[in-house]
Amino acid sequence: MTVPRFATLGVRRASPRTLMMLLLTALVAVSLVSLLIGAGSVGPGRVLALLSGTQDSEAHFIVWELRAPRTLIGILVGMALGVAGALLQAVARNPLAEPGLLGVSAGAAFAVALALVLGASAATLRISVAQLGALVGCVCVLSVARFRGVGNDPIRLVLAGAAFSGLLASLTSLILLYDQRAADEIRFWVIGSFAGRRLDDLLAVLPSMLVASVVVILIARPLAALALGERVASGLGHHPNLIRWLVVACVALLVGAATAIAGPIAFVGLVVPFVARAFAGPDIRRTLWFCLPIGPLIVLAADIISRVVVAPSELPLGVLTALCGAPVLIAVVRARRLPML
Amino acid sequence: MKTTSIKSTSMPFTHATRAALGGNDPVSPPQGYWRFAWRHQQGANSVLFEQRAVVVNLGLFGALLVASVIYLSLGSVKVAPTTVLKALVGNADMMATFVVQELRLPRLAAACFTGAAFALAGILMQTLARNRLATPGIIGIDNGATAFAVASIVGIGVSIAPPAMALAGATTAAVLTFGLAAGSGTQGYRFIVAGIGVGAVFGAVTQLLLARVAIDTANAAYPWTVGSLNARPSGALQLLMLGLALGLTTALALARSLTLLRFKDATASGLGVNVKRRRLEVLLLSVALTGLAVAVVGPVGMVGLIGPEIARSLSSSRGVPLLAATLAGALVMVLADLAGRTLLTPIEIPVGIVTAVVGGPWLLWILMRPQRSYT
Repeated sequence: MTVPRFATLGVRRASPRTLMMLLLTALVAVSLVSLLIGAGSVGPGRVLALLSGTQDSEAHFIVWELRAPRTLIGILVGMALGVAGALLQAVARNPLAEPGLLGVSAGAAFAVALALVLGASAATLRISVAQLGALVGCVCVLSVARFRGVGNDPIRLVLAGAAFSGLLASLTSLILLYDQRAADEIRFWVIGSFAGRRLDDLLAVLPSMLVASVVVILIARPLAALALGERVASGLGHHPNLIRWLVVACVALLVGAATAIAGPIAFVGLVVPFVARAFAGPDIRRTLWFCLPIGPLIVLAADIISRVVVAPSELPLGVLTALCGAPVLIAVVRARRLPML
Repeated sequence: MKTTSIKSTSMPFTHATRAALGGNDPVSPPQGYWRFAWRHQQGANSVLFEQRAVVVNLGLFGALLVASVIYLSLGSVKVAPTTVLKALVGNADMMATFVVQELRLPRLAAACFTGAAFALAGILMQTLARNRLATPGIIGIDNGATAFAVASIVGIGVSIAPPAMALAGATTAAVLTFGLAAGSGTQGYRFIVAGIGVGAVFGAVTQLLLARVAIDTANAAYPWTVGSLNARPSGALQLLMLGLALGLTTALALARSLTLLRFKDATASGLGVNVKRRRLEVLLLSVALTGLAVAVVGPVGMVGLIGPEIARSLSSSRGVPLLAATLAGALVMVLADLAGRTLLTPIEIPVGIVTAVVGGPWLLWILMRPQRSYT
């Protein structure tokens, strides 16, 4: 398994520990900026004054009730999407496998829209339904990947995924056209954004994220073995099919949870593992660790930009991730030799 | 429709030879062709029509006519088909005439012409790239045109009329996609995924533009994001009709060399095609048709995939079924908008969503099938 030169970006000379510390520092800095900056009138000056003890009820509300939950959600969603992307790429052996591109997020969104039309209420059902939808989407994608001819060609799989998620997206908008109530309930959710999410939403998805992280820690080693090929993995005492199903379940849990909070956000699962591999090299275990700070970094940065760029209104987050993710997609595709995972 | 004309105005095919070959119509046409021969001054002219192509084109045209009458008769106010025909010539009562002529006919025209333009652009692009997935909708050209057109509507920078901006956007997206794919060629899936990336960027730009403006302006530009026949600006429609007439004529004139463009470059130029120039012409034609159509209806790119697919499955593989694809595209668009208007009344489904719901599985099926030759 060789690492193509473009993928290392020349940063592997620094030791992983230093890199990790740098990334964590950057993450803390970005989180602070996320508390300081917003679309409204409460700018960095007022927030700093508030933190140093000034009485400012408006700033207090905005920082602690709006921006702090939002930042936390950004961190968690970034981690979830990044790790899910890395997992899906490892198990599909395809550097382009991305939950958003392959229709996993679209599956979750479609499931939520369907449940709303069938009479469920957005507040209670969303998370489990989204996870179920993500699971179905994930299984569809991976069974397509095992189809003759499609799985061998990473790019063809992406194309099938794009067709699949385009189909689901138009079905979702069809449902929303049909049911005005559902449309009003999730109109802002369906385009992908962190705005207006509360801490309760976060607490609701926390259990499933914890379960998923435990499973990921347990399967990291077998997954690394699987990268050497199915036979090697079974020779080392692992069960390739079991690992695959566990990965699918994890991806569904993570993407479903992230989609339930933030709506479908594409390209994060592509960019984060791409950068993480550049830092960590080909080892999936190390890549997964690096996804943890890089995912939130990218998502928070995109979220901050989405607040500033069209102030006083806000941009859907998915727009920004597409703007920075699509060039990465093109770059990966243009590379003469696709890095096989 | 493929026509092959043999024209000899001078010596080689004289009356004497014809007489020697026996009678007035000595050369029987190849199997599966109809031959129309006539005499003009001293020469003999003949045109060969492929029987299957004639039948297919006439069939599609008939289907389009039937679909149009149904389109005009169904809706929130039902008009009987016979009344539709009367209303078209102005012999029905006021109400029916108004509904048919003022409300539904312009929309039908927009559906027909945009569908035809998308499908023609699709089959041209597919032939040019030798890749059946390389339709303007899939490789991002629709999205580029949409982004620019929306920019002109929401008034960013210079506000040129939407059709002009849509043309500029389509050109930009085409330049980007083909430029980015230059290294790997246009065959295969890399080119397509690069195009999808370009399309994603332009889609995001459209969202960005819409987020910057007041909600009313954004609502006015909404049809552009999904593709709907509700807005159909009349100026853009007239431009499209003009462009389609010119484009179809040019494409039919190029039909012979398009057939040859399907071969390898070396083969095509050996057979007398100036490959580079012909490619550029075809690309320009396809991009212009896409831009003009997007300016009327927004991105309904799936028609550019479905129309040519239908035409190809009906036609023989001898030539590029340009006319059949054009007719099939118009038919698909009319049927899709008919479904969108009538299925979920009183809600109207934008035609872009109908075609995406129908075209998505189709695209998946194309991808899942074992690989075949592209065109």
